[in-house]
This record gives sequence, C-alpha cells and structure tokens, in this order.
Amino acid sequence: MSGSARSEIFSRLRETSRGETEENIQRERLSLGSAPAPTPPAPENCQAFILNVLKNQGSVDCVSNRSEAVKAIAHYLYAHFHNYRLVAGNDPRLAAMPWRDAGVLPRFGSLESGEPVALSFARLGVVETGAVVTWTSKANPAANNFLPEHHIVLVDKNDLVLTMEKAWERINHALEKTGRPRGINFIAGPSSTAGIEGELVYGAHGPHHWHVILLGDIPVDAQNIARAATKGQS
Amino acid sequence: MEHHSNTFLDNASEALKNSGQAERRDKIALFASQIRTAAIDSFEGFDELRHHVKNIRQHSLDNLDYYLSQFEKEAVHNGNQVHFARDSEEFNSLVLDICQQHDARRIAKGKSMVTEETGLNSFLQSAGLNVMETDLGEYIIQQAGETPSHIVSPALHKSANEIRELFQQKHDLGPRELQKTSDLVAEARNVLREHFLQAEVGIIGANALIAENGYSMLVTNEGNGDLCANLPKVLIICTTIDRVLPRAEDATAMSRLLARSATGQSQSCYTSFYSGPRREGEIDGPLETHFVLLDNERSNILSSDYREILDCIRCGACLNHCPIYTSVGGHAYGSAYSGPIGSVLTPLLTSLEQSHFLPNACTSCGRCAEVCPSNIPLPDLLRDLRHEEGIKKLSAPRWRYGLKLHSWLARHPSIYQTLTAISIRILHRLGRKRGGFSRLPFASGWTSQRDFPAPQENTFMQLYKAKMKQSNER
Repeated sequence: MSGSARSEIFSRLRETSRGETEENIQRERLSLGSAPAPTPPAPENCQAFILNVLKNQGSVDCVSNRSEAVKAIAHYLYAHFHNYRLVAGNDPRLAAMPWRDAGVLPRFGSLESGEPVALSFARLGVVETGAVVTWTSKANPAANNFLPEHHIVLVDKNDLVLTMEKAWERINHALEKTGRPRGINFIAGPSSTAGIEGELVYGAHGPHHWHVILLGDIPVDAQNIARAATKGQS
Repeated sequence: MEHHSNTFLDNASEALKNSGQAERRDKIALFASQIRTAAIDSFEGFDELRHHVKNIRQHSLDNLDYYLSQFEKEAVHNGNQVHFARDSEEFNSLVLDICQQHDARRIAKGKSMVTEETGLNSFLQSAGLNVMETDLGEYIIQQAGETPSHIVSPALHKSANEIRELFQQKHDLGPRELQKTSDLVAEARNVLREHFLQAEVGIIGANALIAENGYSMLVTNEGNGDLCANLPKVLIICTTIDRVLPRAEDATAMSRLLARSATGQSQSCYTSFYSGPRREGEIDGPLETHFVLLDNERSNILSSDYREILDCIRCGACLNHCPIYTSVGGHAYGSAYSGPIGSVLTPLLTSLEQSHFLPNACTSCGRCAEVCPSNIPLPDLLRDLRHEEGIKKLSAPRWRYGLKLHSWLARHPSIYQTLTAISIRILHRLGRKRGGFSRLPFASGWTSQRDFPAPQENTFMQLYKAKMKQSNER
C-alpha cells in the first residue's frame, strides 16, 4: 500500500515541481540567507542568557568552578529536600565533579520512580532564548530531562551561543564527529500548561522546577542579576 | 473525523446560546492577542523574519519532490521506516498495522492535528486499542467525548468547573476537592504518568521535517510529546508531506514565529528534534521508529491557486483574532480545523459542496491576514472560495441573486448612488423621530440583536461631492 502510495504522491509532486537540478536548488536555498534573530536583552552574553532563563521561569546560580558547582547543587538539594541525593547521567563531565566537597550523593544512570531530581550537563546554552541544549545518549538519558520534579542543568559559559543558528552550527559540527544522536532537546523552562481556562500551571508532565547553573568566569553584573532573582524567589 | 461543516449555520446559532463559552473565548482572544503583540513588539525584525520564512516555505514547496525525497533518504539512513498515505483511510490503516505488529494495546499519543484530521483515535479504538491523549487539553476533551475547539488550546471551551466534574466522574480516585487549577493539572499528570510508563507505542506529530538530516521537530510546552517519543518501545511520527524544510536552522527560524504567534513566548519550553531509534549504549528511547506521511489532497492543493495555505504553521493566531471564531467557537466549524485557516483548508481537504458555508464565516475585516506569521492572504483565499461557491451555485438562490444585483450595481455607480440616496432619504424620514428602527425588511439578522440607527439625510457620496464643489469654488 505504502509503495504505490509513495509512487503516486511523488508522481503528483513532480508534476508541480520546478524540476530544477540539485545544484540549482541548493544554490537558491543558499541565496535565501539566514533568518533575523531578536536582539538579546543585554549586550553581554551571560547577562542576556540569565535574563532569558529567568523569563522562562527558571532559577539560576552562577559558579566559577566545579567545586562551587557541587556546593550550589548541595545547597539547592538541601533547600528543597533536606537531603543530598540526585540522579545524573553517565556523563564523564559529571562523573569527574568533586562530589565529596559538599557531600552530594549522585546515582549515575536513568531516573527511576520516586527520584525527584535529575542533573544534566548541557551541550550548549542559547542566549537568544535562554534555552539549554542536551542530546540523548548513554551520558544523558531522556528520562532525566523529562521525568523529574526538579531538573538541574549545568551550562559551561564557554558553551553559550548567541542564536539558534549558531547552536545548529555547533551541533552540526559535533554531529560530523560523533554521528546523529537520537534526540536533540532545546529546553527553555519547566514543563507548563495553560490548557485549563488559560491559567498557567507548571509541572504539566515534566519538571515543576528548572534550575540552571552557569559555570565559568561570569561577569559580576550577571552574577548580581542571578543573585537578586534568587533573593526575590526565596 | 466526521465532518459537520454542512450544518455550520445551525451549529453557529446553537453556539451563540452558550454565553459561558463565548465569555471564555472573548477573554482568551483578548489575552492571546495581547501576549502576541507584546512578543512581536519586542522583536524588531519580526516582519523580516516572516518574509524570510515565507521564502523558505515557498522554496521548499517549489521543490517538494526533491526535499521530501532527501528527507526520506536521510530518515531511512537514521534507522526509521518511512510510510506514505494517500488519504485518511490509508493513514489510519498504516498506523494500526504498526501497532498490531507489536501486539500493542496501550498507545500514548501527543497532540497532532493530522491525526484529528484522519480520525485516528476512533479508528484505533474500534480495533480494540487503548489510545490515551496526553496533551492536557486533548486529554480533557477525549474524556468528555468531544473534539478540539482550538488548534492550540483544544479544551478552550470548557470551564474549570466542568473539568473538575469530569475528572471526579472519570477518575476513580475517591473523594477529593480539586479546588485549584493546579490540582486538576496534578491529577491529570498522575493518571497520565502511569499510562506513559505502560504504553507500548507512542504517537506524536511533527512541526517540521528536516531534509538535510532526517530529523523531525516537535514543539510543546507540556513535555508530553517528549515522553511519548522517549518512553514507549515503538514511536510513530505522524505528519503531512508538506512539512519538509531544507535545513535545521529553517525549522528553528519557523519556531521563532510559532512560539511568538501562538503563546507569546520566545521559545516553547521543549523544542525537540528526533532522528530515529535508540542508539548503541542508550538506556532509553524507542527501539523502532516510523514516519507516516499523509498527502490527503495536499499534492493537489500544491498545484492549485490555494497553495499558500500550505504555509500555515498551526499557531492559531488567526483564530484568536477572528470575530467569527471568537463568537461561535471551534465546534461550529464541524471539522478538525476551525477559524479562518479551517474555513480555507476544510473545503480543500473535503469538498466545497460539503463545506461551502465556511468561506462565508468571514466579515472581511482582514485581521487574520495581518497576524498570520506565514503571510497567508486568508481573506483573498476565502473570497476566491466564495467566488467558486457562486459559480457552482452552492449557496441559496436569494444569496446568489442578491450578490448578482449588488455586483451589477457596483459596476454602475451612478445608479447605485441614486438608489442609495433615495433609500437613505426614506429611512431618514421614517426613523428621524425615534432615532432608529427595531425592525427592517431584509435586515432581521441585525435588528433581532440591536436597533438599526436612522441615517443622516445625505449619503457619504453626496456629502463628499458637496465638499469637493465647495473647495473648487474657493
């Protein structure tokens, strides 16, 4: 059925097609250029990224090194659960974190029933939208992105890109080396719905809370924005 | 799905009696329009973006055989099975076959307008499958045995109270209050989580297919589509042949338009790209993935004067800004697609004979074209369908003769102006004491709702001519 359907559909499409050569089609697409992107809310990348994460109803911490990152995670876990347990993918970057510095007890693998917090290490952060980009692999099971109550995401400052086009440039470059991952996820906030009378509610199916930890040499102004927002939320 | 577009007028009259639903639509339309405006105002290059995406869409459609073939090749290379369906019947059978090959009983389904169009749920259910919609709005209407009333917010017509009663009745969870909206959301989340974990097959839609790498793009806020795509062992992605875009960056450019136009966001919470089955070493994800691509008249639309309708990105902005949609709601249209987009698309997917009332569900205000992120000239397409309706003599004779008379008068302005001047003078004399009319021949549609104001003595053209004469004399 599908074979004859395919032939019939393609035959109809060929009738309407311009019948250009592959070279001409590619040339025409190239001539259309790239899409305009919005102006970021601040001139400096870290500041703009943090402002957009906050706009997406995420919370943010800024840390300068991995030891501080572990402490920030410990602080978050204790504030919400009075314990130091979480699940993290088998990501070598996460395995190499100095967990003992703050007594955090990660379990490496995929989130299971009853586990409320998962940690991911983003491949990229997109300044334009305040989104983090992860892709599915042994190092980052999809369940860790979509099933926990709280999703904590580490983003290296060096992995911030200005626009979605820049993100795809980086992704395509990585794909050439490692092959195409099954899923590439741009995550821009906790799961939400306005399905009932337009009222916005978080935690529709996935995380209720989305916490981003920006790692690296973060400018003081950006740190201040994150700190002020954290103060406002507490 | 079953079409009831041929009873649009009766459906609309019935809908107007439900003041609660009309009030909710008014509120949402106002809110949706404000958040859209705010999102667009903060993006200086929005019109330029519209223009760019339009060019990309046109380029893709001009070369659809090339890009669809490229997508198929890449998708197969990624480990997918790609199927094509000419119509709804073939489409539904293909999906059922895949489910049956895996002895699947439980299906977790994400939001997909294409499957609404083909009536997939009822087809699978009639074969004994337990199909659960997982988008909150879709889940609510599925439980209520209804159809979506809006492309983006399917349960827009239902109040929180109605949903509370529905959940109390459908979920066997003992006595509970469910006072707040968040309680309702939490209950649906718990019920659906179980289903996600047990489903053997996940079905999702796709906002775009990417030719260069064989990925599909899925945009959601709830994340339910991603759970459908990642938890069951088999994934079926259902969409139409016209969704192909050349590059990944073209899909994200489109998502910029979509998020702002639909929900006023700069990006939806989850924009996900899926390429195929689980890779080596992965501990989750489907083991088998399928694309089922539907034509259902689209290859014919492509060669018609209505091809621009295929540029639609299903944002729902035209619905939120349409005075007819906000008055009568989505169910009145009697098809999967409602509002201005539905009034064009439904006659093209079915037939004008079945749905010729829909192109008349238009005040020609032009707001749909103003807000359409794909720059689709919706009022022009609606007018062309009305023209076809006239040629095919589908409308009532009194409408056709009335329009013929109007058309003749419009082409003879001096007679038109003389007749209107006489009518206006008569109406002025008859109505000047009371200031208006509570009844008028041929205008009961107006006077049943409100008085018709008595006109001033002169017509616009008379005043205009007098003014021009005065200024020429000076």
